[in-house]
Amino acid sequence: MAGMELLSDQGFRTDGRKPNELRRIRFKKGVFKQADGSAYLEQGNTKVLAAVYGPHEIRGGKGKALHDQLLINCQYSMATFSTQDRKRRPRGDRKSLEMTAHLKQTFNAVILTELYPKVQLDIYVEVLQSDGGNYCASVNAATLALIDAGIPMKDYVIACSGSYIRDTPVVDINNLEESSAGAEIIMAILPRCEQIVFIEMNSRLHEDHLSPVMDQVMTGCKDIFNILNQQVRDELCKKSAQDRIVDSG
Amino acid sequence: MTDVDLSEAEKTFILHSMQDNFREDGRGCEDFRHMEVETGLISNTNGSARVRLASTDILVGVKVQLVPVDPNKPNVGRIEFFLDCSANATPAFEGRGGEGLASEITAMLTRAYSCPSAIDYPSLCVLPGQQCWLLYIDVLLLECGGNLFDAVSIAVKSALFNLRIPNVTMTKDEGGIELDVSDDPFDFKRLDVAGAPIIVTVNKIGHFHVVDASEKEEVCSLARLMLGITEKGTVTAMKKEGSGSLDTDSISEMIESAKKVGVELNKCLLNILMTEEGQEVKPVGFLR
Amino acid sequence: MATSRICVPGQRLNRADDKHIGGKGTYSRNGFIYSSVLGYWEERPTNDNTEILISVHTGETQTVIPSIDDIVTARVTNVNPRFCKCEILSVGTTPLCDVYRGLVRKEDVRATEKDRVEMYRCFRPGDIIIARVLSLGDAQSYILGTAENELGVAIGMSEAGVSMVPVSWCKMQCPKTLNEEFRKVAKVRPEYIQTVHQG
Repeated sequence: MAGMELLSDQGFRTDGRKPNELRRIRFKKGVFKQADGSAYLEQGNTKVLAAVYGPHEIRGGKGKALHDQLLINCQYSMATFSTQDRKRRPRGDRKSLEMTAHLKQTFNAVILTELYPKVQLDIYVEVLQSDGGNYCASVNAATLALIDAGIPMKDYVIACSGSYIRDTPVVDINNLEESSAGAEIIMAILPRCEQIVFIEMNSRLHEDHLSPVMDQVMTGCKDIFNILNQQVRDELCKKSAQDRIVDSG
Repeated sequence: MTDVDLSEAEKTFILHSMQDNFREDGRGCEDFRHMEVETGLISNTNGSARVRLASTDILVGVKVQLVPVDPNKPNVGRIEFFLDCSANATPAFEGRGGEGLASEITAMLTRAYSCPSAIDYPSLCVLPGQQCWLLYIDVLLLECGGNLFDAVSIAVKSALFNLRIPNVTMTKDEGGIELDVSDDPFDFKRLDVAGAPIIVTVNKIGHFHVVDASEKEEVCSLARLMLGITEKGTVTAMKKEGSGSLDTDSISEMIESAKKVGVELNKCLLNILMTEEGQEVKPVGFLR
Repeated sequence: MATSRICVPGQRLNRADDKHIGGKGTYSRNGFIYSSVLGYWEERPTNDNTEILISVHTGETQTVIPSIDDIVTARVTNVNPRFCKCEILSVGTTPLCDVYRGLVRKEDVRATEKDRVEMYRCFRPGDIIIARVLSLGDAQSYILGTAENELGVAIGMSEAGVSMVPVSWCKMQCPKTLNEEFRKVAKVRPEYIQTVHQG
C-alpha cells in the first residue's frame, strides 16, 4: 500500500508495537451463568466470547454420535456489527463455516475425547469486535472456556498469527497488517510440548522466510500461554486463598 | 423462551406467594431487577451499549450508512433492526434455532419505533429527497434470563443515546451535489432519544400484574402485554402474547401499570446514561 | 510437600512408574502423568498401599456420563413386551444435568427364568428404577440391566397414585387400596439410600 509503512525505519509497526510484541491480552473466565463454561477475551481490539455446553446427549440426529469418542460441535459466528463494514449475516457464510471446521479440528486434537463416548460437547464462539487474528482469539477464548467448564484436555491450545514485513517477522498481526501485508501464518500449538495442531498460511512467502516467521509465531504463542496460564493460576489461587493452598509454580 | 421446567408445586408456590405480594426474589410487582448499562464498548460501531438485567445479557451495536431515501418518505431517515440470538445463550439457538424469537423481538421493536416521534427521523435525512442515514441497529442476545423484550429495548435506547453520526459536508459540483462524510471521530452529531420508547412487559400471574418477570415467573404467566412506553407516558406499541386471555379491565390496569413503570424507567435510564457520559469512564465490558 | 497445589491442563505431575498411577483429572503420555483439568493436586495411596494415586480435583462436581458397570437411577417412560425405555437421572450419587436415554431389554430384567419375564409385570411407566449399565448400546440409548437382587424398582406408583411398599421380590402393595401389583422389586441397600439423601 502506497504511503503507508507497516514497519517504520525505526522498527515500529502502525500501532506502535515492536515486531515481536503482542497486543494487550485481557480476559475473564466464567462470564455467563447458563453455560457450563465461558470466557471473554480481548486481544487488542479483537474481542471474543466463548461458551461451552456439555458434555450432553447428542442433540438432533442421533446418527452423528461417535461410538468411541466425544463429538465436538462448534459454531463460529461474528456479530453483524463486529467488522468495519456491517456484516449481513452473523454466520453461515463460507468464512464462518471454514472457521467452524478449523476450530473443530483444533479442539479435537486437544480434548481427551475418548473419555466421553457417544456424547456431544458444544463450543460456541462469538466475535464481538474484529481487528485481525479472529481465529487466534477464538481459540484462546475457547481454551479458557473449556478450562472453566472442567473439560479434560491434554494441554492449553494457544493460537497466534504472524507475518513477514520488510524482512522482519512480525507477530500477532492486526486487521490492517492482515489486509495489506503479504503472507499471514496462523498457528495453534500445544505450548508445553511445542506440537502444532493447526497451521494455515495465506498468500505467498519465500521458503527461506517461513521458518523465522514460524519461530516468531511459536514464541508469540508461548508468550500468550504464559499470560493466560499466569492469570488462570492467580485466579484460582485467589479463590482458594482462604484454604491456604500453595501454588506449585 | 428457553427451557425452564417447573413442576406444578413450584408453580403453585410462585402463584401463592404472589397473592401475598411476594415474588420469589422479594421484589414488589412493579420492581425491576438489578440492571447494568454500559455504552461505547465496541469501537467498530457508531454507537453501542450493553445491558445486563439479572442474567439477561444484551449487546447492541449501531452502524450508520448513507442510503437513498425511501421514495414514500423523502424527508426522513430510516432505521433497521436485526437481532441475532447467539448460541452462547443456549444451544437451542444454534444455526437457525433463534430466528423465530429474533423476528418476534425485531417486529415488536420496529412497531415501537415506527411512531414518528420516537426518534428525530427528519434529522437523519441528509439531503431531502435523495440521501439519508440508515441506522442498522444490530442486537446480539448473549444470555437469556427472562424479560428479553424490555432488556433489548433498553439496550437499543442506550445505544442510540451513544450513537455518534459523522457530520456530512455538501459541496455543489457540476452535475450534482457531492457528499463528504467526515473522518474526524470528534466531528459528529448526536441523536435525540428523549422520545424513544422502552418496551415494558406486564405479565399476568394469577390476578396480579407483574413487570420484569424472571424466567420462572414467565413460565407461570399465561398472558402478557408488551407496551412501548415513552418518557411522557405515551404508548407507541402494544402486543399481547401468551396462551391465556385477558379481559378489558385488566388490560387497562396493565397499561396503567406499564405506563407508571415505563415513565420511571425512561427517566432512570436517561439519568444513568447522562452520568456515565459525564464521568467519561473507560468501558469495562465483560472483564468485570 | 504441600498437600494441595494448583494444576493446569498439560502440567506434568509425575513419572508414571510402578509406584504412581494417574487418577481422575489426569492422563498419561510418554511415561509421565499430566493434569488434564484446572484444579488441585491430590495424592493418595491406593487401597492396597502399593501405589500412589495422583489425581486432580476441580472442587466442583465434574460432568459425568454413564459408563459401563455404573449403577444408575432411571425413570421408566415406556414399557412394551420386549423392552422398557427409561431416562437416566443420575449416575451413582451424582445427578445428571441432562437426562440420557436408557433401555432395559426383557432378557436383562432378572437373572433366572429369563424367558418367562413379562415386562408389564416388572415395570410400569413412572417407576424409579436402579439399574446397572451393561453396554453403551447402539446409537439410541444405553443398555441397562436389573438382573441382581439390589436392582430393580425402587419407587413404584400404584394405580391410585400412591408410592407403594415392597412386599416380596416381585410384588409391591399400595398402602391406600391394599392392592398388590407386580414389579421387579429392588432390595435397596440402606447405604445407597443414605448417600442419595446426602446428595
